[in-house]
Amino acid sequence: MIPALELHDVAKSFGPVRALSGVSLTVQAGEVHCVLGENGAGKSTLCNLVNGGVSLERGTMTLYGEPYRPSRPTDALAAGVAMVHQHFSLVPTLTIAENLLLAAGARLRPRRRELHEGLARIEETYGLSVPLDELAGHVPVGVRQQAEIIKCLLRDPRLLLLDEPTAVLGPADVDALLATCRRIAEAGKAVVLVTHKLGEVTRAGDSATILRGGTVAGAGPLAGFGAEDLVELMVGRPMSDLDPLLVASVDESATSREAARITAEPVFRAQGLTLSRADGTLALDGVNLEIAPGEIVGVAGVEGNGQSELVTVLSGAVPPGSGSFLLGEHDLTFATPRGRTAAGLGIIPEDRHHEGCVPAMSIAENLFLPRLSEFARRGLLDRSALHEAAARVIEEHGIRATGPSARMSTLSGGNQQKVVVARELALDPLVCLVAAQPTRGLDIGAVDAVLGRIRSAAQAGAAVLVISSELSELLALCHRIVVAYRGRLLGPVPAAAPQARDEIGRLMVGAAA
Amino acid sequence: MRTNAFVVYGGAALAALLAGALLALGGGASPLQAGAALWEGMFGSAYAIGSSLNTAAALGLIATGFTVAHRAGLVNVGGEGQLCAGGIAAAFAGVSLPDATPTLVALPLVLLVAFAAGGAWAAIAAWLKVSRGTSEVITTLLLNFVGLAMVLLVVHEEGLLRQPVTSSQTLPQSEPLIEGARLPLLGLEGSPATIAFLIAAVAAVAVAVLLRRTATGTRLTAVGHSVTAAARLGLPVRRLQFWSLTSAGGLAGMAGGALVATTPFVLAESFSSGYGFAGLVVGLLARGSLAAVAGVALLFGLLASGGMNLQLAAGVPASSVQIVQSLLTIFIAGAVILRRTS
Amino acid sequence: MSAFVELAEGGVRLAVPLLLASAGELVSERAGVLNLSVEGMMLTGAFAGAVGASMTGSPWAGVGFALAAGLLAALLQAVLSVTLRADQIVTGIAANALALGGTTYGARLFFTDGRSVPGFEPVLGPLTVLGCAGLAVVAAIGLLLSRRTGYGLAVDAAGADAVAADRTGLPVAAIRYGVVLLTGLTSALAGAQLALAEVHAFTDNLTAGVGYLAVVAVIAGRWRAWPTALACLFFGIAQALQFTAPLLGLHLPTAVLVMSPYLIALVAVSGLVGSSRAPAGLTVPFHRESR
Repeated sequence: MIPALELHDVAKSFGPVRALSGVSLTVQAGEVHCVLGENGAGKSTLCNLVNGGVSLERGTMTLYGEPYRPSRPTDALAAGVAMVHQHFSLVPTLTIAENLLLAAGARLRPRRRELHEGLARIEETYGLSVPLDELAGHVPVGVRQQAEIIKCLLRDPRLLLLDEPTAVLGPADVDALLATCRRIAEAGKAVVLVTHKLGEVTRAGDSATILRGGTVAGAGPLAGFGAEDLVELMVGRPMSDLDPLLVASVDESATSREAARITAEPVFRAQGLTLSRADGTLALDGVNLEIAPGEIVGVAGVEGNGQSELVTVLSGAVPPGSGSFLLGEHDLTFATPRGRTAAGLGIIPEDRHHEGCVPAMSIAENLFLPRLSEFARRGLLDRSALHEAAARVIEEHGIRATGPSARMSTLSGGNQQKVVVARELALDPLVCLVAAQPTRGLDIGAVDAVLGRIRSAAQAGAAVLVISSELSELLALCHRIVVAYRGRLLGPVPAAAPQARDEIGRLMVGAAA
Repeated sequence: MRTNAFVVYGGAALAALLAGALLALGGGASPLQAGAALWEGMFGSAYAIGSSLNTAAALGLIATGFTVAHRAGLVNVGGEGQLCAGGIAAAFAGVSLPDATPTLVALPLVLLVAFAAGGAWAAIAAWLKVSRGTSEVITTLLLNFVGLAMVLLVVHEEGLLRQPVTSSQTLPQSEPLIEGARLPLLGLEGSPATIAFLIAAVAAVAVAVLLRRTATGTRLTAVGHSVTAAARLGLPVRRLQFWSLTSAGGLAGMAGGALVATTPFVLAESFSSGYGFAGLVVGLLARGSLAAVAGVALLFGLLASGGMNLQLAAGVPASSVQIVQSLLTIFIAGAVILRRTS
Repeated sequence: MSAFVELAEGGVRLAVPLLLASAGELVSERAGVLNLSVEGMMLTGAFAGAVGASMTGSPWAGVGFALAAGLLAALLQAVLSVTLRADQIVTGIAANALALGGTTYGARLFFTDGRSVPGFEPVLGPLTVLGCAGLAVVAAIGLLLSRRTGYGLAVDAAGADAVAADRTGLPVAAIRYGVVLLTGLTSALAGAQLALAEVHAFTDNLTAGVGYLAVVAVIAGRWRAWPTALACLFFGIAQALQFTAPLLGLHLPTAVLVMSPYLIALVAVSGLVGSSRAPAGLTVPFHRESR
């Protein structure tokens, strides 16, 4: 049987960084093939190669036996390869119908009738449907993903690529998505599922290729691998060597740790926080939360249920519509970011590149931007003192860089995050730390370092709030977990409870606590 | 990286030079003749150098301001309008002060008023930017045309700045500024160069120190690179943005004041001569370096006076210089991609 | 009464070049490319039109010259904006300076001995055949590139989210080239309109900011077709008023009329009245392989 997709000895570099080297892989029609790997293993590059987003440097690709070398996404689409992008490819200012019409190519008269026929066919075959007249930018993320998948299916592709499709979905939506993948494969198409979450694979996949550091660490039918084998292949060390916390970040089956007893008075008090979106709906609908010193509270939930908005309100980027936020004695509800910092509130933002740091500036500048006046001498900035102070932080936090004047953008994601964490932990006193998606996009070594720092901050007496879409990570790190659902926080669920995972899963889809 | 930048600028200059030679040929002069005329116009006399310096001072002030705003991530396209606002304010002050006001009082006052007016003009755009999020590129661009029309208004209306109309020959322009409000000459033999050149140099040095050596400069840089990160880190983003654009306008306004306080010491319809746009181009080509601002401003100033002689001495249209300048800009702007990918 | 008729006729006549240039520019900005060089493209078109008409004796040949020259000017802008991803504001201003210098230089060499430029005469009210043709072009652009057609959707997609459009399989670079070239054609036609149907000659800096006014009309119209057309008409009337105000017994300083379009645009764009949203990708170059 001719394989649907075959990669042979493929390599790709970005400047000095080798993203992929010597990668070979075979995908059969009618199967769901999983590409597994940690962040930075080369999964995205692989997707972009197959999709024509980046061009091949070395090696060959064949599609259903024919040489295949797309130089742009259009080529891939013409060859019957469609991709569901992690960040979607829908134009937010157009309606979903208009987006779907565009997928059929730009014509003077859009073929509305064909579209409706196609949609009816897809609904019949796969059970998928979407609201057509809504703006793509206004629908929930799960609906957007369905629209994205329908957009791909309308072209009747031979090969469907899905890049981290479950990152934005709740458990129920994940199950539905995996079922859809199976149905697409059963219709005779090849499906490539790219992910770093092992749980999905064992449920939906037929075979797998495991990437590590840009090379293939293992491949074969999934039946031949145990869950532990897969973790070891992804991480490159035997599972018994790993910190349970690390394992938790890649494996769903890891156990949670014992809860410590927290008895102190809460220092973090959010009461009745609300926030409206531009369209009048509530992004936050009465958020109540208290955290004691030394306590780590996690916020789980499907993305888009108010987690990001909660962080923007806590960090002072946007004032809440109503409610209050107190830190110890200080009322921070409407405080400026500077006032919050002074009160001892550290924030590790979700979007490291846009909020957490200034990539074009040096490590030293990034570390001390909020405190530059401490380095002013007679009106001028004392750069040598600044660099000395930065060098100490670099040393202490094990940040790998050429020096304090190295640009942030030259650092790996993990080291950038270490700089952000170092800056926020340097607050004196650190009363409370809010960490949003603190390990997103990091490799396993950096995950370990960042989570270790967060944990020790709590041990030193800070109240810690961790917002994460990695449930396993929350279960391993936190004392209590609350679940964001439509702008409210449900729960809490003690992380050590035996049924914590199932309980949280139910809360994520809005079932009563 | 450095060699690459050298290749880009060198190549652009060479290509522009070649175009200049062709234009000279087209105008009926040999490139050598034209070159000689251009050189003569640029360096041939104390007068030529002096007027180049005056032009360069105006361009340098505007470009220095542009650099301040650009450091905070704002593109000030509005130099022309701010220049007009400064010129109008300077003219108002300079004609209404008592005749006997000494230079030490009148001149600083006139320049200060020009700075304030240019700053206020830019502050409209700055306020719209920080309070409504309106793109400063669009608002400053629009304010240019309003500013130009304002000059038109004040020099045509007798109730405003127009000199008393005595005959149909009376030009639509203001009365001359009082003696004390005029920029003193640098005192070089036969040279019209005024102390505007020194003012521009001081401004450039002060701004260079501000941007590179102070905490404020670093904060501006942070805002310029990432507004969200700067806000998150507690920097007063709106204040920094507002004042950087406003000071850019102030410097352009001061350039306008300097132009009005230079011979013939009047505000006339076309007194801005497109300096606002040229200053913008100088600022863009200098790419954030104040040393480059000085160099490019000087080059543009020299080319402007060289171009006039080109027409007088070699019969080649003066617009050749404009063509060469714009080609130079286009080549350098277009070649940015080469440096980006290197 | 006749003064009002004259005002209306003048307004319509002067609105035609504005409508033409801003029709192209509106489409271009919707696709994410800002052409400040509309002014330069118009001037180039006016110059080439005058040269062509004067050389051949046929105004229609002049129009052909104008279109070819406008296409060339637009090609320069497209290469800079799309392929080289240069700053659109800088290159726009520089291209205008180039056009001003180039046409002034050319005029010194060509229009030396009082050459005559044959032009068009009014046939329909104040409009010439060329004016009518211009209006037809504007209407065609309005119909073919509205949000209701697939082409219009593709244009909006390229301007709102170029990455998504590219992933959808739309040729973003080709779309952007297309709209800039379209702007070149309509702007050149607008310039030819000025030179051949209005002035019947070429003078230095003939367009004198009308091209900028066309860009301003798009901004004042908040990137929507009908408001932009309305803005053009209003700007045309404001220009005509400069000539007819004395006849109407109005004593408005010319300068007030000159600045009114810009003030209107400033109010429209500042969000002080209603909301205003520029295309998200306006002036943002698109590049695929950046990881």
